[in-house]
Amino acid sequence: MERHSSVAETPVNSVMVQRRSGSKSFRQSYRSCVGAASHLGYTPGLTTRRLTTSRRAPRSRTVTESVNPEQLSLLVKKEWQLSYVTPLHHFRHTQLRSYSRQLLAFIVAEKQQGLAVALEGAESSLKVVFSVVEGMATTDDDADTVLIQIHSKSVFASQDDPRRLVWSGWLTCINGSPDYVRSLPKDFVCLPLLCSSGAQWLTSLVKSWLERAFDCCIGSLDINSVNLQWLAALWTNCHPESNIGQLKLMWTLPVDPPLEIAFTVHPQDAWELWSSMRGQLQEEEQENEGVGEGAGDKDSVDIDEVTRFIDGLKNHFYRHFRLDLSAGTLSQVSTALGTAKHSGRIKISSSSYMNATLMLLTECALLKMPV
Amino acid sequence: MDDSTKRLLQQLVRRIPTQMLKTTLEKWGRLTTEQQKSLDFTQPKWVLTENLLAFCEENGWTTKHITELEMIYVTDSPNQGMWYAFQLLDPEDDAPSVELTQFKEQFKIHLTELIRHVSIKIKKHTDEAVWIRIAWGDSFSRPNHLKPTYVVHHLQTPYVFMSSVTRKQKPLLSQALVLATRYTAIKDAHLSGRKLTAIRDVVMKQYQQVFPTKYPSPLLEQNQTASNPLIKREQAESSENRHQMACEAFGYGMVPQLQTAVYKLETKFRGITNKTMTERGEPIRCVVKFTSTNLLESFRNCASSGIASTPVTPLLSSITQKGRNFFVITDNGRGPS
Repeated sequence: MERHSSVAETPVNSVMVQRRSGSKSFRQSYRSCVGAASHLGYTPGLTTRRLTTSRRAPRSRTVTESVNPEQLSLLVKKEWQLSYVTPLHHFRHTQLRSYSRQLLAFIVAEKQQGLAVALEGAESSLKVVFSVVEGMATTDDDADTVLIQIHSKSVFASQDDPRRLVWSGWLTCINGSPDYVRSLPKDFVCLPLLCSSGAQWLTSLVKSWLERAFDCCIGSLDINSVNLQWLAALWTNCHPESNIGQLKLMWTLPVDPPLEIAFTVHPQDAWELWSSMRGQLQEEEQENEGVGEGAGDKDSVDIDEVTRFIDGLKNHFYRHFRLDLSAGTLSQVSTALGTAKHSGRIKISSSSYMNATLMLLTECALLKMPV
Repeated sequence: MDDSTKRLLQQLVRRIPTQMLKTTLEKWGRLTTEQQKSLDFTQPKWVLTENLLAFCEENGWTTKHITELEMIYVTDSPNQGMWYAFQLLDPEDDAPSVELTQFKEQFKIHLTELIRHVSIKIKKHTDEAVWIRIAWGDSFSRPNHLKPTYVVHHLQTPYVFMSSVTRKQKPLLSQALVLATRYTAIKDAHLSGRKLTAIRDVVMKQYQQVFPTKYPSPLLEQNQTASNPLIKREQAESSENRHQMACEAFGYGMVPQLQTAVYKLETKFRGITNKTMTERGEPIRCVVKFTSTNLLESFRNCASSGIASTPVTPLLSSITQKGRNFFVITDNGRGPS
């Protein structure tokens, strides 16, 4: 089912779409689909055409049924820092053991730079484990999610003592753009989203190892305000099925000293506002076009509905405080299903609607990649 | 000297930052000159603690002495912990004539009547404020000096500020205060913050206020940013007006440092285009919390830069006008006052 209407709509004769001459590379395939301006362009016309204008409303439980609950529990209720990863060259899901050894060697070597390292029989206090989280992929094109964990134990502990998790991270691709994924040359694996949690020095070591081993680029991913609004709307949409607790939006105003505004709405009221916005928009469309939009209305969420929803909340706020929230940046969105921050941190608090959130983040990562 | 005194002293020394330790000990005056000289304040804290514990043994200090030291420290740096403002209501006829000794006596009597095992210490600070330190005990245990309550009352005003009071202790404390000050009741002023000086200034309006004048003379903006003179000339009048109104609402110059303001709204949806919601008629419940290191200054900047439309809405200007930072707003008007 064609979900990314943006890809289909990109006009062939658009000035911005330049076909790069020269050898085929995955660089060209995505760019040609998307437009050279990519995330740098500010022209509203092109960006809206390029942005996903409608998404599937989130369905619960898709993930919980297919994924091992133990592994799932490692992923939820933790705050992750997001990064984008360009496609990995020669990454094999079958070689995970070897990767574990290689990463461990790399970390040990970096820690002891300049000293001779004996790997065999080394009393390393760290242990690296690569594993596959099966069942997260939604389509056949998605590569399986890979989980990396780094455990440590104290030098004096014995073999049986439990190890402490000091760093974990996972590479994932949930519903990545099928055109893009299929256009990659055979040797590349697309796992564009990296979520990491743990000490900063370990994060940078793991990133540099991945960059060296698989010839990729890793950069920080921040969640811009449009995507935060999407998350707010998609999560609110889930309310009838699963109580979202509250809808909390935080803005930061650029005054001196900076002012932070936390706007928390009662979940039922947020839901009613959201559904009334959708209903009204559909009414207007019907009036304009004279043809019912038909089935699938409830299923898909449009960007117009999202913008109206957030604007409605901002207007309500303005009517009271006469303070224009558009002057500030939306920095955080939080419900019982998760918390997303502008700085690129995400916390998934409930596994029920994980898929929709990860889908959106995968798309962000694919769009942010410089390639 | 028992363990509890030692523990109290240890906790206290840990709490006082080293820069303040010297002056606080000097003010306290219970160290001999030799002992004072022998303390080297460049050493790590634990060394100083050991020394002081040794002096404690030597000089035979009791809990009473240590609580004195604590009170000196807290009075000198009152901008810690959370302070809550309260207002006394309906004074009796002789309320204005209550003075220090009478208040002290009455408070001690009333509080010990209500709860037997308390340890009360009252001190008058230099600026008309009476400081009270209360350590609470119950029928089974002696007063717990590790978690004292502090109360500050400005005589001749109906304002009381409290810090570290539990829910059970509050009614007893309130009762004692009301009786000692010869008022009839006490209510929550809905004003809280980390800095005692700030909430005191807000509630007693002791900051530079600006009043609307018929002949406005331009108030000097604090930070004159270099800007294009042509733009400045054109924008002069409107930016002066904005600045004037911003200062009227939030004060001029250095304003009291509040950190948060919370509004609980339960009002009908006020969007522009949405008919369904406005027809719905039921209010939307939401909570808005403003946070900043200096809230009033942030608001003032919002108003003078145009992010907040002027004239400033009464919801925001109520913070200074009414001296509170917690509001419940319903469609019928303000909530509980």
